[in-house]
Amino acid sequence: MNEHAEKKEKQGAADALRLQVASSPHLSNASFTTRRMMLDVLIALLPVIGMALYVFGMFAVKQILICLVSCLVAEALFTKMRKRPIPLDDGSATVTGVILALSLPGPAPWYVGVIASFVAIGIGKVLFGGLGMNIFNPAMVGRAFVMIAFAGSMAAAGYVDATSTVDAVTKATPLTLFQQAGVITPLKDLFLGTTNGSLGEVSALACIAGGLYLCIRRTASWEIPAGVITAVVVCGILAGISGPGTEWTVLHHLFGGALLFGAFFIATDPVTSPLAPKGKFIFGLGVGAIVMLLRLFSGYPEGVMFAVLLMNAITPLINRWMIPKPFGAVKEETKKAS
Amino acid sequence: MKNNYILQAWLVLLLAVFYGGSLAGVQLSLSPKINENKINETRQRVPALVLGKDRANEPVEIESENIAVEKNGRKVFYNVFKAVQDGKQAGWVIKTSGQGYGDKIELLLGVSPDMSIITGLFVLDQKETPGLGNRIADPAWRQQFVHKKTDKKLVVVKTGAKAPNEIDAITGATISSRSVCAIVNNTLSDLKPKLAGVN
Amino acid sequence: MSNEPTPLERFIQGIIPENPTYRQMLGLCPTLAVTGNLKSAMTMAGAVLFVLFCANVIVSLIRNILKPHLRIVIFTLTIATFVTIVDRFLAAYMYSMSKALGPYIPLIIVNCIIICRCEVCASKQSVIHAGADAIGQSIGFALGLGSIAAVREILGAGSLLGFHVLPSCWPNWVIMALPPGAFFTFGLLMGTVNWFVSKKEKKQNNA
Repeated sequence: MNEHAEKKEKQGAADALRLQVASSPHLSNASFTTRRMMLDVLIALLPVIGMALYVFGMFAVKQILICLVSCLVAEALFTKMRKRPIPLDDGSATVTGVILALSLPGPAPWYVGVIASFVAIGIGKVLFGGLGMNIFNPAMVGRAFVMIAFAGSMAAAGYVDATSTVDAVTKATPLTLFQQAGVITPLKDLFLGTTNGSLGEVSALACIAGGLYLCIRRTASWEIPAGVITAVVVCGILAGISGPGTEWTVLHHLFGGALLFGAFFIATDPVTSPLAPKGKFIFGLGVGAIVMLLRLFSGYPEGVMFAVLLMNAITPLINRWMIPKPFGAVKEETKKAS
Repeated sequence: MKNNYILQAWLVLLLAVFYGGSLAGVQLSLSPKINENKINETRQRVPALVLGKDRANEPVEIESENIAVEKNGRKVFYNVFKAVQDGKQAGWVIKTSGQGYGDKIELLLGVSPDMSIITGLFVLDQKETPGLGNRIADPAWRQQFVHKKTDKKLVVVKTGAKAPNEIDAITGATISSRSVCAIVNNTLSDLKPKLAGVN
Repeated sequence: MSNEPTPLERFIQGIIPENPTYRQMLGLCPTLAVTGNLKSAMTMAGAVLFVLFCANVIVSLIRNILKPHLRIVIFTLTIATFVTIVDRFLAAYMYSMSKALGPYIPLIIVNCIIICRCEVCASKQSVIHAGADAIGQSIGFALGLGSIAAVREILGAGSLLGFHVLPSCWPNWVIMALPPGAFFTFGLLMGTVNWFVSKKEKKQNNA
């Protein structure tokens, strides 16, 4: 006992002498917390939510409420099961819930939202060890689960409710219309968002507005959306060259579907995207390229969800490749040579 | 002595002979039953496919033959059953297959004696997505093919079949629906010239 | 030999304490592949019971004349023989089931539960021990397969053994009938089992 105490004392003395240096990152701004970031994301989502409410009305209200409540309940329940303090006030479950709701079709039945939320929080986040430990974007894990489980209410047919009084929902989504019937939706509709689709994806304008806010506030890294858009533009131009005659242009590819929503709000999740700026850009390029691959060659009309999940999976690899070189460091080969 | 491999392995050899013998016995006693199962699997479907499901229990004589069709420089073989009732030909049943969404789809296709009308369709084997694509095996969906004329190619539509050669797609499984249709179309165009005048 | 388990111990060990699926994690290929519905899972468990019992008994009978360096050859030979018998038997009398299980019946040959039991128990202990062990382990395997299959069939199709047990408004979780469903169900059930076990151990340690 005595010995132990002595040791501790010595240790304490040594500590006092030593300079305390915490490992990086060294944040200079104390307000740069999870909570602030999540609040920023919610603010940026406001135009998107507003657009969803305007276009889909009650569908949007219902879906957002269901996902929000389910995500918060799931977070409370699962963290309690792990005997951890319940971190509801950091806002991450709220953001997951809202993004999940915005990525679902309006007419999807209530249980789709509930199950997606529980899978998102449970399997997507808490099983991996909570916020910051998850490999995959939780909202997309939840969406992928219900996409496969309830293909009837999540695939093309799930978006359409012909008897609804909400105008947008009576038609198929622009991407489905194009893939199956070759119908081109006017660019103006795609840009403003008066079309059918997942709740948050319809308006390119709202996504850009919110996305720019996120990038300016540096809550989201601009490299990711830049990468996504670059890849889509390049692939779109290549597709245009190889298969001329189609009126589904690069701009249609950009403004249609969940591309901008995914680029600004889903792919930019700081936990599941690479750390270094160069890595982020590569991550974005990968997402954009996979989206185009799926849109052009697969049976699915849209591929943002799968693209984000696939790139999440190789994020650790990108991180390994893109370890930033410390200032003044010498390359290994040159070291050996000298 | 100790290093003689054969002697060391005497137990292995003895067991191998013993097991081999018993397996031969099992095979000999069970193989007629297994073969019967395999043949019955297709044969017992023939009456319903040719005569319609209400008359599935009527006795039908079945002659089986293999027909080779030259296609793109390759020979394609079809297993065709000729159903004969009361000395008159009642129709054909063709065993055919093609690529589906998940894996190969195997179909039995019943056609009238002059190859002009489809009389039945049965899905022998498929590995389509459960809950979506595997609904191609649903009787209700397959029933759409019955009484279709074979002069025009069948087309899958998503918005309610109206024209006589249209088939409703299964919700969420357009590819599986199209695959079945394509297999039927291919089979008919391959075999129509061969079988139509054989009566 | 006094510390070797008795036949009864062997029998009980296999069911829960050394459950092949949840505790030893052996034979996972069929566990994941044929648990889409309860009927095929039970057929698989039955086939394993037959093969394991026969192989265990035969190996135990010849255990005294086994050459140690040739034992694996003999195990495999024995197992393969009985698997072939089961395979032919199913093709003759349960043709549709044999088609549904496809390659997974022949794959019992490489099921590690069986070779593990031959090695651990049958090649060391008497026929009665080996038989009891085989039955215990098979029941454990059946429990493992059955629990996963029941969850998957109820969630994925709303039915159990082909009978509808949930109201028709139940939305089928298609993902449960697909391969990912097997992984989810297996992982979550194993987590539950481990949770119970650790709870029990804690209680014992406290007492």
